[in-house]
Amino acid sequence: MKSIIIGQYIPGKGMFYKLDPRTKIVAVLFIMISVFLLQTIFQLLIALSVAIILLLIGRISLLKVLKGLKPIMILLIFTFIFQIILNREGTPLISHPMYFTIFTLIFLILAFIIWRVLAKLLRFRFTLFFLFAGSVYVILRFVDFGDALIEPFNFAIYQSGLEMSIFVVIRLLIIITLSTVLTLTTKPTDLTQGIEKLLHPLKRIGFDSESFALIISISLRYIPTIFDEANKIMLAQASRGADFSEGKLKDKLKQVISLLVPMFIIAFMRSEELANAMESRNFVPGEKRTRINELNFNYKDVLATVFSILVLAGSIVLRVI
Amino acid sequence: MGIRFNQVSYDYSSFAQGLYTAIKDINLEITEKHEFIALVGHTGSGKSTLAKHMNALIFPSEGNLEIFGEVITAKRNKKIKYNNIRKKVGLVFQFPEYQLFEETVEKDIMFGPMNFKITQEEAKKIAKESLNLVGLNDSYLQRNPYNLSGGEKKRVSIAGILAMDPEILVLDEPTSGLDPAGKRVLMNLFKDINEKTGKTIVIITHDMDLVYQYFNRVLVMNEGRLIYDGDPEKLFREKDLFKNHLDYPNTIKVLKYLNETLNLNLNIYQKTLEAALSEIERVVKE
Repeated sequence: MKSIIIGQYIPGKGMFYKLDPRTKIVAVLFIMISVFLLQTIFQLLIALSVAIILLLIGRISLLKVLKGLKPIMILLIFTFIFQIILNREGTPLISHPMYFTIFTLIFLILAFIIWRVLAKLLRFRFTLFFLFAGSVYVILRFVDFGDALIEPFNFAIYQSGLEMSIFVVIRLLIIITLSTVLTLTTKPTDLTQGIEKLLHPLKRIGFDSESFALIISISLRYIPTIFDEANKIMLAQASRGADFSEGKLKDKLKQVISLLVPMFIIAFMRSEELANAMESRNFVPGEKRTRINELNFNYKDVLATVFSILVLAGSIVLRVI
Repeated sequence: MGIRFNQVSYDYSSFAQGLYTAIKDINLEITEKHEFIALVGHTGSGKSTLAKHMNALIFPSEGNLEIFGEVITAKRNKKIKYNNIRKKVGLVFQFPEYQLFEETVEKDIMFGPMNFKITQEEAKKIAKESLNLVGLNDSYLQRNPYNLSGGEKKRVSIAGILAMDPEILVLDEPTSGLDPAGKRVLMNLFKDINEKTGKTIVIITHDMDLVYQYFNRVLVMNEGRLIYDGDPEKLFREKDLFKNHLDYPNTIKVLKYLNETLNLNLNIYQKTLEAALSEIERVVKE
């Protein structure tokens, strides 16, 4: 859990840290919209390289962002595979029969066992998974001897299927990278202040952006605390013989209750204490608040805004042409 | 054989701060019968982490420990039934709110024993017995644990662990947040359990008066290391306890002050208030 980088702020220096959060939110929004407007892989590749150049300029380590992408990897792989299999338009690139015989089954089981054993011993889980997937393909394709268990079926990859799958994956990559840059370089408090200021005009239609921002920042603040507390409760119940990794399903249900009830009660206790602490420091809901660090625009913000508007305009022009 | 630590270290890892070593190179042996041990040390010295190792709630990063013959290492071993270890070594957490969850005290105390496959009737009987053991009467059985006072909650949570009939009992600051009378009642209770049943009891505490008065073995933690293991008497005869963020018991402090200001010749090592008073009486009569 602790290695998840999405949504984490990591202190550092660099261009993006000095930008105003409002600028960053608006710029990321603009660039995201323009990414959705792009239509060809070539355009997207340019967008991807622009995103990477932005990372380099901001002196954000590519390795960190890649590490953060790890949990999303499965999502990306699934999108890729579904697109490639289900999209059947354009000219077929590969098309050949696949066989499923007794020997195929034996080989598949063998490959599976080898994969699991290696996965236990080695550390390169992703690489091993790809090797396993590749070997499944090779087995289905070439092991054509023996009694057929089911009729040979046709395996085909179509041109537009391949294009679409690459297209979708790159688009997702760019969007995730951009939002990671936003959260990586902006303190949660600054982020909520930015959102608050951006939503301020909505006050006319009765939307209280200050309370909204406060709710967001308090929830963000308490995620690690509650996580910590859940951990402690789990240990306390484990000491009473309710270890989550042992026992039957029926017992586990009871164990979940033994975890949830204290969590809710502690959360309510905390919120009451927090409310008292805030009131005793003279917090009045709806009153105008001042801050130690007011947000300020400078020339960098102007540059960033102009850049993002140019990107948006450019992609609109490309779309129209 | 009870619990034996062999070169145990434990690291917490977090994204922001990296590795943080909570305990380091701990070698320790706790026998299963007739021990009454205090575990002291300032906040963040690794007491609680050490206690969590004792019933295999967390596994050592380095080294290993043996708990009733089962060897606990960094990796979870599928052959070991960890729930059985927790039955043998009961750990009571500092805050009762972390474990109380049922709508009645009786059901809550029954939760522990019921996890070890006994009948409802037996569990009910055990619940009643252990509630009486911590000094609460039967009228508490049907009450809601969340409507009890802090001290009562604490007792119910202790009863919840006692109900599992562990061979070794580990308590994380059982007396914190209690009034002085409540503290003594609980300490006498633990001493009583220790003497009657012979169960080994380990208690984490900050109260040096209690340590001096009740315990015959004390473990001192400082910055993750076990720096003292032995008789409290010898510990308090040392000159410079403050450098380990410890304090002397009140009796020693008061008698020492009297010696210095009135130029008396009192024997300052008195465990209880009564003993201190009679010592003063003796010297004054002379």
